[in-house]
Order: sequence, then C-alpha cells, then structure tokens
Amino acid sequence: MSERVMREVLLPASVQDVWEAVTSDGWLADEVRLDLRPGGDAYFRLASGVKTGWLEEVTVAADRARLAFWWSHEGEPASRVELSLEERHDAVRLRIVETRPLELLDLVGVPLPGVSGPSFGPALLAA
Amino acid sequence: LGEARDPADAVFGALSDPTRRALLASIAEHPAITATELASHLPISRQAVVKHLGTLTDAGLLERAAAGREVRYRVTPAPLSDAVSWMAEVGGQWDERLAALARTFGPAARAPRARRGEPVARGASGRTRERQRGEMPK
Repeated sequence: MSERVMREVLLPASVQDVWEAVTSDGWLADEVRLDLRPGGDAYFRLASGVKTGWLEEVTVAADRARLAFWWSHEGEPASRVELSLEERHDAVRLRIVETRPLELLDLVGVPLPGVSGPSFGPALLAA
Repeated sequence: LGEARDPADAVFGALSDPTRRALLASIAEHPAITATELASHLPISRQAVVKHLGTLTDAGLLERAAAGREVRYRVTPAPLSDAVSWMAEVGGQWDERLAALARTFGPAARAPRARRGEPVARGASGRTRERQRGEMPK
C-alpha cells in the first residue's frame, strides 16, 4: 500500500479519442514525449519544470487502453501514474491512480533501494 | 525488501481504524494531550484509548513525552504533513486535467468524481487546514 490519489471520470467519447487526448501535448504536461512501449522513455515539460521517467505498461485495444508510467522532477522521489480507459456503453471510463510508494517507505524510516531516478521503480514493484 | 513492507503496513493498519483516526485528529488539534484527556472527549474508556495510542505510536505516527505521571502525545509532524500536501497537490493537478478533458468532450461529460483510495487520505484531510493555519507543532 502507498500514498495514493485516485480519480475517475466518464467521458462521452471513444477509447481512441480519449487515448489521443491524454497522450498529446497539453494534457499530462505542456509538452509530452512518450516512447510508447514498456521500458520506453518519458519526458514531460510542465509549468513546474521538467519531469522524466519511463513507461511501465502500454496497452491499446479497441475497447480499452492502459498507460502506466513513472515520473519525477530531477532529484525528487518518483511517483507512478496509471491511466486506464475502458469502454462503457457509449462512453469511456477514465481512471487515474497516482501513487508515491517511496515517500511512504521513507517516512517510516525504511532505507530506499535507490536515491533517485527510475531505477527504484522495478525494485519496489518486485518487493 | 520483504521486511520493508511491515512499517508501511503498520502506518496503514493504524490509520484503518476510525477511532484511531479520530484520536490522531484530536491530538493534532491539542498537542501534548494525555490519554485521560482524550478519553474524556471520546465515548471509549481510557484503557481503550491507551491501546489505540500504542498502535499509533508503534506506527511512528505519535511521539510520547513523559510529564510527571502522565504521558503526553504529539503527532509526529513531518511524515503526515508531507503525505497530505503531496496528495492535495497531486489531486488538484488531476482535477484540473480532468476538467479540461470534460470541456474537450462536451457538456455531456460528468463532473470528475473525487475518490481517494486509501484511508490515509480521508483520515488526514481534516488536518490539512490546520497546518495551513500554522497550528501544527513543528
């Protein structure tokens, strides 16, 4: 378990349209560059600065899609974002979960497996 | 990392109980409060309060300080306030993104429903305002 923020919304659109919207410039960040494959690099330019990370999962189908990635500002703990799209009748349910597992482990005094960067993602998931 | 889960589980285990969340909120409002004082505000016995305080202390959420024959309790400030501020900031950012999406896909789109997955979010949210008023012990 970890710190977690969850949001869910129903959009009257197709999975393809929502996928296009959430992976384009201007939504996750002003500028978004995603190498859309597992392990691919991710770059986000936001008002608060640049976040970098990597993609954990990319799944795109006609009636569902999922994008999971890790991102962090340089020198700060990474968080994991999971976007799930699922067709629901004439709409798409978009669920967003952002978790920050490292901060939680840090706060209870557990030594972290890495100092910064994406390397601690898989180590943590394997735990 | 197998043993690394236990402290995190202790935190969430401690926060999973509504009585313990209420105790934590009371202690945040009244720093250096005693178990006896807490019990006088709550419909549970001092003995039950002491047991809950032990769980919260073991999870690292409370600090104890002996004061004469009594023990005074404070909320451990940094960890929770950090968690709360992170969830507030990140949650606000997603709310903005979802509002933009709703505008993109037309008026039929439902307003975003805010959901918090973990007890820590609900249990901690009430304290955010207090911190913003600067009432929390540092």
